Amino acid sequence: MGRREPAWRVTTAELALAVEQERGQGDRATSYLLSPFGARMNRAVVAGTLAAAEAVGREQPSSFWRARLTDPLGTVSVTAGAFQPSAMAQLRTAPAERPAIVVGKLHLFRGRDGVAEVSLRVEALRSVPEAEERATVAETLRQTLDRLDLLERLEHEPSATDATLRGLGFPSPWIRGAREALRRYPETDRAGFRASLRPLLGHVAGLARIATSAVADPRVSIHVDRPRAPAAELTEVDRQETATFLDAVDQAATGSEDGYADVREVLRRLEARGVAGGRAEELLGRLEEGGLLEEPIVGKLRRA
Amino acid sequence: MPTEPPSEEPPEVPLREVGARSPLVHVVGRVVSVRRRDVVRRSDGTKRPLLAGLLSDGTASVRFTWWDPPREDVDRGTILRAVGAEVREFRGRPELVFSWKTRVGPAGPAELPRLDGDRLPLRTVRELEDGQEGFRLEVRVLTVAPKPVSVGEERRVVFEGLFADATGAVAFSSWSDFGLVAGEAVLLTGGYVRTFRGRRQVVLDERAVVVRVEAAGLPEPAEWLRRPPRPIADVEEDGGGEAVAIEGLVVGLLPPSGLVYRCPQCRRVLAGGLCRLHGPVSGVADLRARLVLDDGTGAATVAAGRDATERLWGQSLADVRARLREVEDPAVLEEQLAAAVVGRRLVVRGSASCDDFGLTLEPGTIDAADVDLATAAEELAARLDGGA
Repeated sequence: MGRREPAWRVTTAELALAVEQERGQGDRATSYLLSPFGARMNRAVVAGTLAAAEAVGREQPSSFWRARLTDPLGTVSVTAGAFQPSAMAQLRTAPAERPAIVVGKLHLFRGRDGVAEVSLRVEALRSVPEAEERATVAETLRQTLDRLDLLERLEHEPSATDATLRGLGFPSPWIRGAREALRRYPETDRAGFRASLRPLLGHVAGLARIATSAVADPRVSIHVDRPRAPAAELTEVDRQETATFLDAVDQAATGSEDGYADVREVLRRLEARGVAGGRAEELLGRLEEGGLLEEPIVGKLRRA
Repeated sequence: MPTEPPSEEPPEVPLREVGARSPLVHVVGRVVSVRRRDVVRRSDGTKRPLLAGLLSDGTASVRFTWWDPPREDVDRGTILRAVGAEVREFRGRPELVFSWKTRVGPAGPAELPRLDGDRLPLRTVRELEDGQEGFRLEVRVLTVAPKPVSVGEERRVVFEGLFADATGAVAFSSWSDFGLVAGEAVLLTGGYVRTFRGRRQVVLDERAVVVRVEAAGLPEPAEWLRRPPRPIADVEEDGGGEAVAIEGLVVGLLPPSGLVYRCPQCRRVLAGGLCRLHGPVSGVADLRARLVLDDGTGAATVAAGRDATERLWGQSLADVRARLREVEDPAVLEEQLAAAVVGRRLVVRGSASCDDFGLTLEPGTIDAADVDLATAAEELAARLDGGA
């Protein structure tokens, strides 16, 4: 049984720039969304203004809701499904446009065009007085600056040991996140990001309200260059294996509580049918690229 | 009593000095634990009895094996004198073997080695480990309170509280009344360390010696009890601690929380009307909340009791029980509690322990965190302007 993952204090801007993932190995492995600024997140806390939720899908009554959470730097999509009934009720029933603190798991969705979008699946959510929301924005800014300081130090002194950094007051999970960030995002404009945090300050001081309408394009997209699946003709073997793969997804989805097919479960089923791990990963990549499968939650598959 | 030439008799040593260098020793110690076993001889299948246990004399505890012991029971607490015990080493620690060559007999408390303080090493709170004894400790009493307990039939009073030095704080329980007063500095000799429910504590029994000393470099109670919050990840890395403060957001509620029913005998929370220890009992209603508090570096479970839960929820136990009759599903109550506490920013002080499930805090106090936004904005502006 693992320890509970901390809820990283992050802004919507940092979430929008996080495109790398770390997938755990083995059963019940934890996956992380990695930001360029040292957050290694399985879970996050975001404070901001929450808009009214809208139902997603054609089902009646809808079992999936989505709302936009806006902070002074941007917007993130916040979702809740039927298998988190209290979170869904909170998201659905609350009045429109209120300050809120949202705790949730992070999901990186990569669409067919290679555009990545991060969403926050609600675990806990609370409408709060504005002062409490501002206090959490202050905490988020402070921790973000702390993480940037840690990155600076690590970059100038790559040989610094964990013990040294701990002695300077940096907690262990942050040190790990910072090392990972430097490895995955070697070229990052941290000074620019630091300067872009300034609007948070006015909000903490109570000088500026969050202008939800002023955010022209709420969808901050990061384009990732991924090699496209070659449009080569499919061989008969390919076709068969693709069919086997989709069968495995359907079976895993039918047996699961949330309606998604767990990736590891699918890989196990494929292995039982003679499709080896490496080949299965390759197929998964191709099916995702080809738009037949989606991975709206890290480690969970569904048919597109 | 047969007299043997003194040259063959090894000198009496305290258990702390038992080591592989002297293969035969003479010790006096109290049996702390003991178990009788039989070992089957491979040669002819007959059984050979032995006693195995732990012997302690206040300076150290050493395992012993007693081959062919007397038929009558050797009780815990018995004091033994063993002349000519063999010393073996097992995993780098000395052990004693009582064989046919060893003369073992009963002894009295006065025969135990005198705890001569000057010869025992002076330890700091941070250095204390489970099972340790035979040390001196110079600490400040942070808190102390009497607690009545029953040991079997007997009713006794234990004095519980916290000690601290510059390196940390540790819980203590004293089975004798040394007249400890919060705020005074003491030099302790003859205590031992044990871990109870994941919490390390110093135990003082009637053999311990407490001397009042001048406090130099020891923290003041007020200072310790009002320390600023620390990152949860750091507290977790230390494996917990006493008088620890953390600050964070409530990000979840773990079951069982809300209205629970406890066993009237042991106060365990009942599951399906059953106590794990006492079976079917008529439960006593209580309120509790197992809050998950998160500060961005880690998460801790805060086990809030009835008072704190009532305060956070704004509902008394009576209110909740009254509402239970109105709701169709008792789970609704737990959800209402979650809605009332999630997202709250709290400062929690208490005793922290760590296990496979992470960090748990037994809170002494739970307060709403007081955030000064103007000061925070100034501080953050200075940092942003300072730039990197």
